[in-house]
Parts: sequence; C-alpha cells; structure tokens
Amino acid sequence: MANRTPAAQRPNGSTQGKICQFKLVLLGESAVGKSSLVLRFVKGQFHEYQESTIGAAFLTQTVCLDDTTVKFEIWDTAGQERYHSLAPMYYRGAQAAIVVYDITNQDTFGRAKTWVKELQRQANPNIVIALAGNKHDLMNKRMVEYEEAQAYAEENGLLFMETSAKTAMNVNDIFLAIAKKLPKNEQTAGPGGSGQGRRLVEGDTGAKTAGNCCK
Amino acid sequence: MNEEDLIKRSAEERDKIFRRYERGREEGAEIDPWEDPSFEVYHATDRYGFIHDKRLSSKMDPQEAKRNQIELERVKKWLKMLKSWSSSVTKEKLHKRIYKGIPNSLRPQVWCKLLNLEKVKNENRGVYAEMNKLARLYSTDARQIDSDVNRQFREHIIYRERYGIKQQSLYNVLTAYAMYNSEVGYCQGMSGLAGVLLMYMDEEDAFWATHALLTDPKYMMHGLYKEGFPKLTRFLAHHDRILQKIMPKLKKHFDKHGLDSILYSLKWFFVCFVERVPFSLCLRIWDIYLLDGERVITAMAITILKLHKRNIIKLRDMDSIVHFIQVKLYKDFMYDDDTVIQTLEKTMDELKRSKLDHPGPPQKDEIPSRPFGILIQPSFEQIVGRRAEKFTDKEKNTNEIITLRSEEAKDAVEKENRESQLSVGDSGGLAGSKFSFDPSIDDASSLLDCQHTGSRRSLADTSVTSTADLSVFSTITRSQAHENSLDTHSNISENSVGAISSVGSGIVQSSSIQKQPLSAHSTPRATPHNPSPDVLRIYVPYSPLDTPIASPQNGDVRKSPPTSFPDGNKIRIRIDNDDFPTPLVEHGQIKHFRIENPDFDLK
Repeated sequence: MANRTPAAQRPNGSTQGKICQFKLVLLGESAVGKSSLVLRFVKGQFHEYQESTIGAAFLTQTVCLDDTTVKFEIWDTAGQERYHSLAPMYYRGAQAAIVVYDITNQDTFGRAKTWVKELQRQANPNIVIALAGNKHDLMNKRMVEYEEAQAYAEENGLLFMETSAKTAMNVNDIFLAIAKKLPKNEQTAGPGGSGQGRRLVEGDTGAKTAGNCCK
Repeated sequence: MNEEDLIKRSAEERDKIFRRYERGREEGAEIDPWEDPSFEVYHATDRYGFIHDKRLSSKMDPQEAKRNQIELERVKKWLKMLKSWSSSVTKEKLHKRIYKGIPNSLRPQVWCKLLNLEKVKNENRGVYAEMNKLARLYSTDARQIDSDVNRQFREHIIYRERYGIKQQSLYNVLTAYAMYNSEVGYCQGMSGLAGVLLMYMDEEDAFWATHALLTDPKYMMHGLYKEGFPKLTRFLAHHDRILQKIMPKLKKHFDKHGLDSILYSLKWFFVCFVERVPFSLCLRIWDIYLLDGERVITAMAITILKLHKRNIIKLRDMDSIVHFIQVKLYKDFMYDDDTVIQTLEKTMDELKRSKLDHPGPPQKDEIPSRPFGILIQPSFEQIVGRRAEKFTDKEKNTNEIITLRSEEAKDAVEKENRESQLSVGDSGGLAGSKFSFDPSIDDASSLLDCQHTGSRRSLADTSVTSTADLSVFSTITRSQAHENSLDTHSNISENSVGAISSVGSGIVQSSSIQKQPLSAHSTPRATPHNPSPDVLRIYVPYSPLDTPIASPQNGDVRKSPPTSFPDGNKIRIRIDNDDFPTPLVEHGQIKHFRIENPDFDLK
C-alpha cells in the first residue's frame, strides 16, 4: 500500500526513523535481580525489596539508535524452578533474551548457563542473548569472576556485561547493546513478529514513542 | 531488695529524670526514635499496618469516620455471634455479615473459626513443632523461602525489620509447611498467602490455615502450587470461557493485543488478589473466600474486569492494559469496597444461575496424593539445589496447554482479521451485564441472556432501542460509503445521521436507530434478544433479483443481489470501537489499513 514508506514523514517534514518492536525475555534464578533490572531500565527506579514476580510481568521501553527507534516488549519471568514450565511461553518468539545471574552467587551463574543452553536449543535460532552479571554493587562479595563469565559468553556468542540495578551501572547499556545487535532491515519486518522484529505501523504509537525517547 | 535500697533506687531514678529535663536536647541526650515526632512511621502507617511513603492525613474523612463507626457497631454483634458460633442463628446471619465485612479487630478469631483451625490443631498436636525440626534438618526450600521472606510485605510494620519476629514466623511456617506437604513444598506465592495469615494469626494457626487453604476441598490451592500448576490451567480455561461468553468484546480486545489471561490473572488465583487490589478490599475478598471458597476467586476475577471494562477497552496496547490491571488497580481501585463486594455478590449469583460459577470437580492430579508430614528423603539434586535441565511430563503437559491457549487466541485474532468487517449475524459486541452503575458501556443483558450470543437476531430487534452511540455514526458512514462505492477516495461526510440516510437513501426503507438515553437503570427489553451497543441494524426490504445497491456518493449504481447476506433483508454493521480502522475494499474483500504516515490524506 502506498502509505508504507520506510521512513514516515512527520508533520513538520523531518524524517522520523523507522520503528522496530522486539520481544525480549528475562530469565535467571530467583532473586538475581531480573525485575530490578527491568524497573531500572523502564522507570529508572530501584526498590530495595522488589516484590517477587509471581508468574510474569510485562513492560515496554523504547531506545533510540541513530535513525531507528527500538521498542522493547519486555517479559520479566518468575525465577523459581516451579515456574520453569511457563517460561517457553515467554521466550517463544522472543528476538532477545537477557539471562541474569548474581555475581555474589556461583549457583546462579550455573543456572544462567542452563538457561542459555535451553534458549539455544528451544528458542528462535536467531535470538540475541545477553548475559548480565547483576549486583555489581556487591563487588566485595563477588563469587563469580568477571573473566570466567566473559570467557563463557565469548564461547557462546553472548553479549556480556556486569550490571547493577541498584546503581544503574550498565543497565541502559546492556539493552542498548542488544538493540544494536538486533536485525532491523526491512526484510525481517515480517508480519506477526514470528522470530523477527515487527515494524510498527500505528502512527500514533510511533509518534508517541519517538517523542519519549532520544532525550 | 530492702527498703533502704528501694528508696535509694527511687531517688536515683528521680534524679536521672530531672537531669534529663534540665539538660534538654543537647548533644548526648538519649532519645529513642519512637519518642520523637520525627518517627514518621507512626504517621505513615495505615490501620492495617502498611507504612506509606507519605504521612497520612491526621484528619479522618467523614466517610471513613462513618465506616469506622459502623464497624464498631458491628463488633458488638460479632462478639455475640462468636459466642454461639455453631448455633442456627449464626449460620443464618453469617453469610450476610461476612459479605458486609468482618470487623478488622475480629478477623483473627473469625478467620480461625471459618478455617476450623481449633479442631485441626487439636487433632495434630505437636505436628507443627515436629515439622519445624524436620525443616531445620532437611529443608531444601530454605534458600528460596529466605529470599522471598526478605521481600514479602516489607512495607508492613510487622515485616519491616530483617529477621524480626514476624519474619521469623513467616520463615518457620513456610519451611515447616514445605516439609509437611512435600508434594507442593514451597512455591512462590505461598509467602504472600502465609504473610497475610500471619498478620492475623500466630505461627501455628497460620501453619494450619495454610494447610486448610491448600487441601480443604473448598479451596484446594494444592493444585495451583504443585508442579505443572494443573489447577491453574483449568481455572484459566474457565475464566476465558466466562469472558468469552459475557464480555466477548473485552476478550477480543485482549486477544487483539496478545494479552493472555494468564498474565494478569495468575496472581489473582495464586494469592487471592494480594497486591493486586488495595489491601482493605483484599481483606474483604479474603473474608468471603474463607466462607465460600474457590468460586469467589472466579467471580472476583470477572468482577474486576466488569467494573473496569470501559477503562480497559480504551487502552490500546498490552503494556497499558497490564499496568492498569496490575498496578493502577492496586493503588486505587476507583470503587469503594462495599460497591465492589456488592458487585461480586451479584456476579456470583449470575454465574451460578448460568452454571458458570464453577469449573467442576478437581482433576485427579490436583488433589494431594502423598500422606502429609512424612519425610521424603530429598534427592541429591534437591539437596544441592541443582536445577533440572529437562521438563518433567507434567511440566511438558502444562507447557503444551499454555502454548495451545495462546495460539488459539492468536488464531482467533487472525481469523477475525480475515473476516469481513461487515459481518452478518455476528453479535461479538454483545456484552452482558446488568450492573446499574455503569449503563453506558453495557446493555441490559444478564449473564443468562448472554446465552443468546451468536444467535441471529430477528427483525423484531430493529424495533427495540439500541444503545448505539451517535458518535460512531461518522465511522459507520465511512465504512458504509466504502462498501457501497468500492471507492476509497470518495468524499466522506463527517455528518452523522444525515449522512447515513443519504448513503442509505433508496435502500433503507425503514431503519430504526434510536439512541438510548443514559440512565441509571437498565431498560426493559421487548424481546429476550439483546442488541449490543455497537451493532446497528438496518431493515432493508428488497426484491431479490432487481434491487439496485446504490452508492449515492458517486452516483454509481451497481446491480448485485445481496447474496452474501443470508438473512436477505438485514444488514448488520458492526463498528469496532477499538481503533476505528477504515475498511478498504479490494477485489471484493474488505481489508484494513492503518495510517502509518500522519500526513497521508484520506481525501
């Protein structure tokens, strides 16, 4: 149809970049800070006693990359093993995942590895996976060495950063790094979002998100 | 201590106190935090013990004062009733009184009675202490419970301090219960359940209350929490069924935005609305839940959606819908508790009448199958906390059910999109409710009447009033113009009623479009059928072979017998209120497009 142009003209004539929407899922052991990372990224807040996620939570946030606005649909999951059976519902069709562990707890790193394995086996083959070593603010209690995690990430082709939802360290950065790595070409913008980013075509949403970011 | 010593001690004490006052607030003065007005927690703690960010108003608003007065009056009646709990008078009055709300000061006693804890405790003396001991030695859930106790109700005055007395209790109850009911162990969500119970009970009572909630057939939360969540999937399916039946438009709205009910309702089911509605309302729901059991949860879920349907329909993306249901309603439900509970009661009645109040008896796997309190030797994996890499059969099953649900919803949306916007005989917009407080979004149909959903309406319908909002007429005009002219660039009149008649002139011989005045009462119907607010019916008599379908806008006259309308002389136009998409006719099929470019000009 004629109104499908790569860059929508805004009323003032300036070129607004394309808008891509991606589904991103957060996975990881309970209490490693998944919800806190999302809260920091989406609202810039931190709660010392973030309530535990029962089931899953859903939030969105947009980031701007050059001429592209990337809208993340973020699925934050419950960490307890019992809820594992619901996880496929959330990572199915996801274009990106952040697997979180707690740098003060070696077990959570082990658990992160099994999540990565599961994603590699079961999720969308082109999924962009980032590994986040959270709670960097508790450095003095560190149990997982940076080098160890980095080596693992490299081996498996994952993005990797140590983060702190509390101090906000690397939180925006990890989402931005994912946004950069995600494919945003026209061909991938197929309908239905099955495995690929969706172009937003709703004019109003596009204008709103564009207005909210790039600040 | 002899007299001399006592006198000496008194003198010292007097001296000490006097010196403190003489010294005043100078440096080094020993002042405990609670002695100073700066100890804000007193001013920010509400009557249920929750500490708020801001100081609460010291003035009570008149309504609250009135409520408190009423509650005080009720306390007297309740005290009397508690004395003769098993009498017939109590049985008679209990229902009504509980629906009015148990006085907060008496919740401890009444909840214990409703859960029959005295009896259970007597029959199981020493068991709780034994489970504590077992947990101390063998618990494999300690880590998870610890991390959840550390964040459960931390804004509540009794859970505020780390390792404080109630945190200890919560930890003890959960670890002990995980030993007692080894099939469930500990599942996230249970800390919320036990957390509320412990606000009103001591440890041992809370332990047995948790057990009652999990295993009493009335509540049977066992099936919710155990591996694979068998009860959850069953209740979700039931919830969806009710939604489809009585609020199909809302269901479609959810489907359209990819919102699976599991996202917003899981916590409703798992912790009985804790942290999803304001705490005062939550307690009222708990009162009723303890009395009437699991059908309360089903009905309350529907009640929330009914009360806020109009707000939710306006929200255009999943993000805002979820935020509204999960966050906004927790902060401010927008209806007072009494109104909500009255609506809940009504919903329960209506669901019962249409036999939708209960999804039926539990499946076998929802019921406890292991004896309680027997120590099951944990596996090595459990002990060291190693996680399974593969799903169990039960988990696979859950996974499949859940996936199927979302795929069905997706398929439904796709099918919907494929189908013509001008559907014949579709009454998808029918919304059933007869709650009088919100007549503008609902017609007067009741749940029972909703069984007519999907049935073709008779001509008689055209003579009854429709709640169609005149504001949508311009959209009707637009779609109708496109339909008739097959011309996307036709001029579109923005004037509503006049435009309709001009579009329809020559074909609409007798149309009956009336706007129902918004009144606080439902309108009696001439027929048992209930026209939906957004279905416009136009009576179109025609001669099957030769009536021209005209499009006066561009003067074209097309000859085509209306074979696509099986009912022959009826055209049903359904307006999708969600986003007023403009249908476009291409090769005889109606498609939708959305405006991507704001500058794109329809004219």
